[in-house]
Amino acid sequence: MELLTNPLSFVILLPAFLGLAIFAVPRDNAGLLKKFALLGTLATFGVSLKLWTGFDPASAAMQFALDKAWLPSYGINYSLGIDGISLLMVLLTTFLMPISVLASFSYIKEAQRPYYASLLFLEAAMIGVFAASDLFVFYLFWEAMLIPMYFLIGVWGGPRRVYAALKFFIYTMAGSVLMLAAILWLASAHHAASGAWTFSMPALLGAPLAERLQFWLFAAFALAFAVKVPLFPFHTWLPDAHVEAPTAGSVILAGVLLKMGVYGYLRLAVPLFPQAAAVFAPWLAGLGVVGVIYGSLVAWSQKDMKKMVAYSSVAHLGIVMLGVMAFEPAAVAGGVLQMVNHGLSTGALFLLVGVLYERRHTRQIEDYGGLAKVMPAFAAVFMIVTLSSIGLPGLNGFIGEALVLFGSFRVHPWLAGIAVGGVILSAVYMLGMYQQVVFGPLRHEENKALPDLSLREWLYLLPLLAFIVLIGVLPNPFLRRIRPAVDNYIALSRQHTAPPAAVLNLGYGTKESK
Amino acid sequence: MNFDPVAYTAAALSAPVLLVLAAFAILLLPLFFKGLRGTQGLIGLGAVLVTLTFFRAAPQAKLLLFYGALEISPLSSYLWAFALAVLGLTIVLSLARPPAQEGNEGEFYFLAVMASIGLMVMVSAGDLFTAFIALELLSLPVYALAGIRRTKPGLEAAYKYFMLGAFGSGVTILGIAILNALYPSLAFEALRSAPAAAPQLALAGFMLVIAGFAFKTALVPFHMWVPDAYEGAPTQVSAFMAAAVKAGGVILLWRIFSLFSGGPVVKVFWWLTVITAVFANLAALAQSGLKRLLAYSSIAHAGYLAVAFFGGRPGFEAVLYYLPVYAMATIGAFSVALVLEKDEKGPKIEDLAGLAKTRPWLAASMAAFMFSLAGVPPLAGFFAKFYAFAAAVSGGYTSLVVIAVVMSAVSVYYYLRVTVVMYMKQPAEGAMTAQQAPGAVEAVVFLMAIGVLFAGVFSGPLLSLAAEASHWF
Repeated sequence: MELLTNPLSFVILLPAFLGLAIFAVPRDNAGLLKKFALLGTLATFGVSLKLWTGFDPASAAMQFALDKAWLPSYGINYSLGIDGISLLMVLLTTFLMPISVLASFSYIKEAQRPYYASLLFLEAAMIGVFAASDLFVFYLFWEAMLIPMYFLIGVWGGPRRVYAALKFFIYTMAGSVLMLAAILWLASAHHAASGAWTFSMPALLGAPLAERLQFWLFAAFALAFAVKVPLFPFHTWLPDAHVEAPTAGSVILAGVLLKMGVYGYLRLAVPLFPQAAAVFAPWLAGLGVVGVIYGSLVAWSQKDMKKMVAYSSVAHLGIVMLGVMAFEPAAVAGGVLQMVNHGLSTGALFLLVGVLYERRHTRQIEDYGGLAKVMPAFAAVFMIVTLSSIGLPGLNGFIGEALVLFGSFRVHPWLAGIAVGGVILSAVYMLGMYQQVVFGPLRHEENKALPDLSLREWLYLLPLLAFIVLIGVLPNPFLRRIRPAVDNYIALSRQHTAPPAAVLNLGYGTKESK
Repeated sequence: MNFDPVAYTAAALSAPVLLVLAAFAILLLPLFFKGLRGTQGLIGLGAVLVTLTFFRAAPQAKLLLFYGALEISPLSSYLWAFALAVLGLTIVLSLARPPAQEGNEGEFYFLAVMASIGLMVMVSAGDLFTAFIALELLSLPVYALAGIRRTKPGLEAAYKYFMLGAFGSGVTILGIAILNALYPSLAFEALRSAPAAAPQLALAGFMLVIAGFAFKTALVPFHMWVPDAYEGAPTQVSAFMAAAVKAGGVILLWRIFSLFSGGPVVKVFWWLTVITAVFANLAALAQSGLKRLLAYSSIAHAGYLAVAFFGGRPGFEAVLYYLPVYAMATIGAFSVALVLEKDEKGPKIEDLAGLAKTRPWLAASMAAFMFSLAGVPPLAGFFAKFYAFAAAVSGGYTSLVVIAVVMSAVSVYYYLRVTVVMYMKQPAEGAMTAQQAPGAVEAVVFLMAIGVLFAGVFSGPLLSLAAEASHWF
């Protein structure tokens, strides 16, 4: 029963159950399928609001905690809990899902039932990743998410969808298997030391590990998360996956999936192995900054709008990594907020590209131009989203980027300085794209009759716009909720306990037989 | 221990005895009663079902029968139930789609039942010699089963399997002879300590025995027969080989492995495991036939099973959980191959193109088997690998697990290829449409699919049975 009365657990189980239940809807009844998916994701969002209202913003503890014995022989519990960071991520997920469903209504024409089922399963797995407080549960959801996303890209994607889907799956899997080995090592080291199996995150935090060991374990976790973020040079799956995925898939990839990588650093890699994290942090921040510059430059040279937005994600996530790896309150808080911002504004950008694509079936920038004349409302929305993406003051992007840059400047002045250059670059290419698409003469005949935004498109764009403005002018309700969690993260990252005994250093794990 | 050994012995032995009777009934009765011809499979299935009802919660005790030749314990109950389940599924598949020509049913079901009895004796053998006889009892019928169709691919499979298998048996018996000369008894318990004389010779004996058993388990480099045999044999028999023959080999290898707590034998196992995991996964990448792909996949899984050996008792528990989970996915996948089968070598992977459109539920089940074999959560295969690797890591063999997980990431590619073809390719022009197979094959497919979907997330019951059984080896 607790599985259903706990709101957090319910938010995970509800979409999973709906994903199964949708198969009870007749296959050809497209209208009912759409309604079912939309109402289902809306209901999930509604339930998740309870997490927001019932959340105690002052506490850094895991809230809505659930700890239910699952596989007792390995001490695995189905344990969940959220702090401020996870709260925002869970809500971002549940918020983006109905939008993604709405955006799929006219784009997805065949095999609708498995499509919406995949979306619902994906939602359950993503929320599970953000809500897990057990390493096993975390890994389970982390990998389980691959299956629905793989099908979303591979079945309903663009022309190179098979390549993109395989690349996405194999990159992520290859990155994650070493994390599994590390998780197993950590848990069995705990078992060897204490005699009890557990995969519970709080119990494994602060395990006295020698620095050399922390190094390897951190590397295994960091690789899995670096692929997901994606950090340069592990990013090559991203442009393929983003470009080939259907619009809703891109929105979810950019909006939520990439956040799982950063979230992994925040929740696991750094708190579990603080000493190694201290060594790696400047390098990871540096890779983030390389990503900012590289992503921006590559985005600049793109002729395909979706590819440009995809590469801009690499740049934005680079900023986030710079903030998160600075271990400085403002920078980390800014990084977390920027995760939400990127989800909103890049999600909106993908949706807008999708709007154009559904009308003209091309994403080339040169095929457009002068859209302001035929689609004024579209042009206005596009403007706001573009400005949010490049960080205009008054909109959400500014708050996050400014906090990251201010905060990380105290820690890594050089890196922050270079990152500013990337921010300027983002203004150059985003505005350049905007100008070529929206302004200028109407060069193409086909564009003269393009209809403006439809009611359905307004319906899914307006909530995004509302939050883009809301976070821009009123960031405090969000920052207030992540602050305790951020402080907790920084405190954990400073826990450099020297191992009291060499228990976990020598002997254990080294008795190989070769 | 409050139980009656005599009644317990009788109850425990009733299973194999009943099966032996059923086997001869299958072979002989139709000769005398013409009305029974064609019902041999049903007799076999009935015998399996009746035998399964004999299984009760076994008392927590180990009984040694026939001067220690047979060990009856919760472990043997667990494995016998597994063997019977595999046999039952094989019979159902064969009833739905007869693998043998008209008139050969008697031999087919007789051999299948005898092979299963061999498996049952093999997993409960108390000494090395009984194990060897059981191994032969398992192998000889399977050689014949592989070639039961008497067509070229089938005969080729049977011939290769038999030649290499006979060689393997010869090697095993040579090893057993050496050990017999050095040890006072061939009981597994007695082999635990070093022999009085000539430890080097004893080591050679063990190596020969291991090579012979590794042949049945299909560890690289003793795997050469597997792809040809699985491809050429009737698909029902391939499923039986992949699930049952492998299980028997794994249990025997574990028996040998658990005699040692270090030294050269463990090192040899370490290398066998690594080579198997690496080679099988790489070789599988190049396969184009579905049955060959499953053959290499089964070799790779033998490697993962061997990884679990290094985890001691918890590792054996993982093996016992792994075997049914792996068997479900493999039998399910072979059943899908059976549905799509046009010629004897089974479908090519490309023949699955567009299956998601023509037969959505069949494709979904196949995808579940592939993801389970690849070890992607939340399917059962992930949990099996997790338990196996967790045991090995806590046994201190992290590097072995690292190799195994990296290779299982490689394996994702070939398992995904099957789903790519099913979901993301259009059926080729003039390609066969999936035949409307008899419902029983599809029933097996769906049953196995439900199994791999739920045996993982709800692995508590199966795992606790495996844990209980693992204490009695």
